[in-house]
Amino acid sequence: MSAAIEVRGLRKDYRAGLGGREVKALSGIDLAIEPGELFGLLGPNGAGKTTAVKILLGLTHATAGSASLLGKPITDPESRRRVGYLPEGHRFPGYLTARQTLSIFGRMSGVPPRALEPRIEDLLSRLKLSDWVDVKVKKFSKGMTQRLGLAAALVHEPEVLLLDEPTDGVDPVGRREIRDLLKAEAAKGRAILLNSHLLSEIELTCDRVAVLRNGRVAAMGTIEDLTKKGKETGDFSKGYKLAAAPLTEELIADFREKGASPERVNGHLRVLARDAQHLNSLIDAARARGTLLTELTPEKSTLEDVFVDLVKAMEPPQ
Amino acid sequence: MRALAANIEEVFREAAARWTLVAYFALSSLFILLFAVAVNLDVVNGALAGAKIFGQSVHMGRQSVDLDTLVLGFESGFAGFLYVVGTFLAIFATAHLVPRLMEKGTVDLYLSRPVGRVPILLSRYAGGMLLSASNVATLLGAMWLLVVWKTHLVHPRFLLAAGLILFGIAALMAFAFLVGTLTSSTAVSIMATFAVFFLSIVLANLHAHTAIFSSAWAVWLVDGLYWAFPKMVEIGRAVVGLVSGENGPIRNRTALSLAPFLSTGLFGLVSLGLACLRFSRKDF
Repeated sequence: MSAAIEVRGLRKDYRAGLGGREVKALSGIDLAIEPGELFGLLGPNGAGKTTAVKILLGLTHATAGSASLLGKPITDPESRRRVGYLPEGHRFPGYLTARQTLSIFGRMSGVPPRALEPRIEDLLSRLKLSDWVDVKVKKFSKGMTQRLGLAAALVHEPEVLLLDEPTDGVDPVGRREIRDLLKAEAAKGRAILLNSHLLSEIELTCDRVAVLRNGRVAAMGTIEDLTKKGKETGDFSKGYKLAAAPLTEELIADFREKGASPERVNGHLRVLARDAQHLNSLIDAARARGTLLTELTPEKSTLEDVFVDLVKAMEPPQ
Repeated sequence: MRALAANIEEVFREAAARWTLVAYFALSSLFILLFAVAVNLDVVNGALAGAKIFGQSVHMGRQSVDLDTLVLGFESGFAGFLYVVGTFLAIFATAHLVPRLMEKGTVDLYLSRPVGRVPILLSRYAGGMLLSASNVATLLGAMWLLVVWKTHLVHPRFLLAAGLILFGIAALMAFAFLVGTLTSSTAVSIMATFAVFFLSIVLANLHAHTAIFSSAWAVWLVDGLYWAFPKMVEIGRAVVGLVSGENGPIRNRTALSLAPFLSTGLFGLVSLGLACLRFSRKDF
């Protein structure tokens, strides 16, 4: 099966202003996103995420490299026939109603007018905009405009979706609905590329992510792979939050002796255990000193931790 | 084709929303209504024996006026008036089409569709031209019908003037599109296009009086600029000359030659070509 989105050695250089310094927005990235996959693109500001998406859509021209959408080179406008796009900070003409907006953009994507009407009704209903069908877009709230943007990206039933901050300005309930909708679209075999700053959204939605840094792919893999602690360092000790009373200096010294590297953090202890046996020996030691355990929670590395570590790694040493 | 039609429809919806279309048609209707109500002609044996404007009798003298000459005079004057006003209104009403398309957050929505950049730009140009054509056709057609109703004189040439008026608008609109793609500014597009219009008038006058220049290079410069710019004066004269026919001044009839139209057409084509080139190469 060929990838729905394929990017090979994509590079983009440009000059910042007339005679300004040369900026390398992308320095040769490779990506392959399969049909049915929900793929997250992460990176700090200026990492090249939006540039990559814009090149895929022909909004910006690549300096070097190649890319294809559903097997068609991106230089061919036809490659966008089955692609839906939700840009960040999009501005639909305010004088159009939701129905007119979807009708115009649907026809621009080649949908016959007869097929459009039921599709528009269905999409607006799924995105909870049924009561706003004939209201002008200028009266929409930010969250509603975002939902309409999503409807416009889906109106021609695309096989590839490129979404830039799709939940921006949407309330928590709406965010959950959009997440569910994206998962449902992926389940239909659509490849979805999600570009978001909300790491928790990416973590909850995506199967795989790539972290861009300085125009390069700094890390790529499943969320599970990336958040697996110690994968790169070779340290497989697992951290635990241990709340107990009393937390005496003797107990801490005991833990240190047992190689648990204890640290006081906000009134509890953070300890490292090599395995279950090691963890149980620590608990036994605490119980033997008459300490009452109130909480023992394994620490989990989040996508945010991975992201922050990667971004910090690129910063020059102070 | 479906995509291009959708783009053209959007141009009309935008014009309606911006009140451009409504204001233009309201003003046109008011003008036509005033003419219909205010002017009453007393025609006897094909000659104008008397006339009333707003109920007041117009003194005709002892001799009756030849109605055909009078109507042709009115029609050619009105066509000339519409050429200037229609051109200005058309530029005002359409100069925003490219800058608005190129706005951040908007351009992405259009360019991410399976339509090439050049067809997108050309469909907006076609939308702008259709908008201008509908305006010119309404005013010219309604006035023609009124004249036929009031005088029973039929001059089809009056309607043909619309073609020449639209030709001038097409050349200037192409230039406005070029400025729009270069600057992304509606205000600059309008100002630059009007500057071209007025400069073409100045150049036409200077070109007609090159004898006043003492140096050869000045003559060469004026001639060069004259042929590079659109011939808005000549097209205006041609509009009047076409309608008035044999009755009008000879300079208007001679303006109906091919050269001003060819150079103006070339100006429009080059402007539109450069606008397409710029739009298709730009990074958004």
